[in-house]
Parts: sequence; structure tokens; C-alpha cells
Amino acid sequence: MRITIGALLVAMVAAAAVLVAGGGDDDGDAEGPTIRIRGQDFSESVTIAEVYGQYLSARGYDVSILTPAGFRTEAIEALRNDQVDLIIDYIGGELTALAPDAGIDAADADAIIATIGPVHEAEGATVLDYSPAIDGDAFVVRGDSEAQTISDVAALGYVFGAAAACFERPQCFLGYTDPGVYGIEFSDTVTIEFGPLLGEALAAGEVDAVVWNTTAPQIGVQGFRVLEDDQGLHPAQNIAPIISSAVLEAWGPGLRDALNELSALITTDDLVAWNIETDLELRESDDVAREWLEQKGLLAQ
Amino acid sequence: MIALPIAQAAVPRGIGLLEWLGDLDTWLGPDGILSSGLDTVTLCAAVMGTGILLALPPAALLAHLRRGELTATALVTLGRAVPTFAVAALLVPVALRRGWGFEPWPIFLALLLLALPPLYLNTYTAIRHVDQGTVDAARAMGFGERSILFRVEFALAISVVFTGIRVAAVQVVATEPIRAFLGGDGLGRYVRDGLGQNNETLIIGGALLIAALAATTSLVVTLLERVTVPHGVRRLRLQTASRRGSIG
Repeated sequence: MRITIGALLVAMVAAAAVLVAGGGDDDGDAEGPTIRIRGQDFSESVTIAEVYGQYLSARGYDVSILTPAGFRTEAIEALRNDQVDLIIDYIGGELTALAPDAGIDAADADAIIATIGPVHEAEGATVLDYSPAIDGDAFVVRGDSEAQTISDVAALGYVFGAAAACFERPQCFLGYTDPGVYGIEFSDTVTIEFGPLLGEALAAGEVDAVVWNTTAPQIGVQGFRVLEDDQGLHPAQNIAPIISSAVLEAWGPGLRDALNELSALITTDDLVAWNIETDLELRESDDVAREWLEQKGLLAQ
Repeated sequence: MIALPIAQAAVPRGIGLLEWLGDLDTWLGPDGILSSGLDTVTLCAAVMGTGILLALPPAALLAHLRRGELTATALVTLGRAVPTFAVAALLVPVALRRGWGFEPWPIFLALLLLALPPLYLNTYTAIRHVDQGTVDAARAMGFGERSILFRVEFALAISVVFTGIRVAAVQVVATEPIRAFLGGDGLGRYVRDGLGQNNETLIIGGALLIAALAATTSLVVTLLERVTVPHGVRRLRLQTASRRGSIG
């Protein structure tokens, strides 16, 4: 038994050595470690991870797209513990997670980057340029609501529905009810799992307003409206790649430029379109990502 | 209305488990443990009551008639394979579209499906396996079929029937918290809020409360059984046990 395990180990080490050596030989001009990308466990994040992964792969980078898992907490932890090298996250959410008490204007994307950048830098990760694509918080009502802005809801006695996380966040429920911000008096609140159930509850009249994300495809399809955030409560939620500094340095400045170029190309409309394809047409994220990259001519070398 | 934000205000993340459980507001507030626990107990009691009414009579009758053994077992085995959460989650959108709201129908039906198999199977097996000699003796003494079922078979089988009730009740109480993930509240709310707000104290505290309620349920059903089992049957069992030289 001992001999077998020993032999196995030797074989595995040998195989690993061959793989490493082979990998080094195959690459053309650029060389560096495998870039491990992992999306968070919801379809938009999965598609985004596929877009960045396939894009980098087509440019000759050694990429491994891991099975999506967890949410922001797990993503940041994995990045810090060297389990992944690249995550793409929403900067407003990053701000809430990393510096919830920073007294900055959370609607200002540059201010957010200036705050979360150093926090990641200290942990060995670099926040790259943020994309114009935004998936922000949306205060959603039925199409027949008389409100145009969130302030209009104050006197309507609405029933409010949102995921559990909303009820402890100053940019969410606490801000809506804070007399110094919106001062809304909801007649009741319901905790609903984040996702399509929010739309079902709204359509059924169980609740009159829900907090969803702006790119939820059901909003347009089910005839809901997103109210204007007239008090500027919602943080800016542009997407931005956050990459291990060591990996970034190993590959050189080309990687940074490549990622920044891609981020600049993605728009909010792209996010909505991807979500319609994955959530309503039930297509696979990797196919959706490949098609988009092909249309933009980003897969051709 | 002004009180609502305070009532809904999240439990601080760093709070210790004892500190949270020691706070009077945790227990007595509008969303406190007592009112959430009452929600849970009410729903579970309704499920168990309905389940007993639905499962026990047909099980007892069919067992008395020695009918439908294979069908019953097959149906029950199938019933045990039904995933409760999936059933409830599938029913929620249907209920919403029909205007029935989030609660209580989807979770009620899902829990009822969970409770029926152990209730049915234990009752059927218990009555089916009452000593045939005892039943024949009763018949020879002039007992009618109804009396045989109620005064002989059911009386002798009652502690196994109660085992079914206990198993079902504990399962229902331990599963009811999924309701908090489907637009409802109840004791599961603490686990749900803890997961959503990244608050371990809430998750652990909520899980402990659910476990405690499930254990209490088991105890209560056992006590109920003590009170209900006919005196003669209990004496009979004690005698049998002592003759075999073991207790229980």
C-alpha cells in the first residue's frame, strides 16, 4: 500500500512538472501564471466572468474559469486567500463590504474607487478601471403606480419587499425610512429572496415596491417601473475587475490594458441583454458571452 | 408606523449569542422570538391536525380490513421522496398568481406532504400487526367490527401510532423554517436574516431555537402519549416487559 501511494505521488509530481514545463513552452510572447476567474453565483456575474475569461483566453492568456460559487464575501475572501486571481464586482457593493462607514458620496464612482482601491492594495489586489456598465439598486413599483420618484412614495403607505440584506443597509431600507433621507412610512415589510420572486410578489400585489437590480430583465417584461433615486441614496454600481497584484505584475502591462479596454466596451444595455438571454431564454452563460465577444470582434486574433 | 424602522432595524453584526438571547427585545419585540415562535407553532399544529385527520382514519380502516398494503407502502415511499422545499418553492408563484398570497398555502401543503407518510405508515403498520389471536378472541366474545377497531386494535396499537405522530411532528417543526425563505416569517427568519446580513450570531441563534422547538415537540408528544395510552394497555406492556426481563 505504501509503495503504491509513493509511486502515485512520484507520478503526480512528474505529471505536474511536465504540465508546468509544457505550459511554459506553449505560450507565445507573454508568459505568466494561470489567471483563475470565478463568477458569483447568479447569472449576470457568471456571464461577466465568462466574457472576461474568454476574452483573455482569446488574447493568449492562460485562463481558467472556475465554477461559480458564493457571493461578494466569498469572492473577496477567495481573492485574498489566493483561491482566485480575478473577480469582477460591483463597486458600490464593494464599498459596503470593505468600508461601510466611509463618509463619501456613494453615488460617485471615482470616490468609491479612491476608497476601496487602497483597501484591496493592502491585501495584494488591484482594482482596475471601472466599466460604464452599471447594475445598480432599483426601487421598483408596478406600472400603474402614481409615483415618479422614490420621494413620491413617502405618503402612499406602500408595502415594501426586499431581500434580508436590504434591511440592515443605510443605502437601502434604513435610508428609505430615515426621515433625513426619504422618510418613507411603509405600511408593512416582507422579506423576499432576491430574484424572480420579487417580481411575482409585486405583480400579485403582495407588495407595492421592491428593491431589485436595474438590469433585472423581468422589470421591462412585466411592465414595472424603476423610480428615480432623487435623493441620490443608491451607490454607484459600475462593474470593475479586481485582480491579484502578483498576477498582474507577472503578465506585465499588457494585461492591465487588455482588461481596461474590455471594461470600457461593456454597457448597461449589454448586461440587460445578457440577463434576458440567460434568465428568460434560459441560454448558457458561456454561449451568451461567446456570441457577444464575436459580435464585438474580440475573439478574432 | 414610526415604530416600524426600529422593529425592523437589523441586529448588530458583532453581537454575542448570549447578549442577543439575553436581550428582552429579542424575545418580546414585534418580530421577537415569542411571536415568531407562535407563528411557527400555529402553522405546525395546523399541519399536524390536518395530517392526523387525513392519514389516521384511512390507515386504520385499511389495516383493519387487511387491504391495500402494497399500494399504501408504495405511495408512502413515493411521498417520502418528495423534496419539501422544492414543492413549496414551486407552489409560491402559483399561489401569488392566484391571489392567495405568500402564506400559508404553499408551505402548508408542502409540510402536509411531509407529515402524511410517517403518520399513515405507522398507523397502518401498528394496526396491521396487532396479534391476530387477540382480534379473533374479541370477535368470538361478540365484539362488533367497529369495537374491534377502536377498543382492541387501536388501543393496542396506539403507542406505535404516537411514534408516527412524533416523527412527523419533529420533521414538520424542523422543516417549517424554510417558510422564512419563501416570503413568510416564523422562527426561520433569524437564520434567513443572518444569512442575508452575514450575521453568524443570528444564524446560530436561529438554528438553536429551531432545534430546541423540535426537541420540545418530541417531548410534548411523548407526554401526550403517556396521558392517552389506556391504563390497561400500559399495564399489559409493563408486565410483558418485566417478563422479558427488560424495560422498553
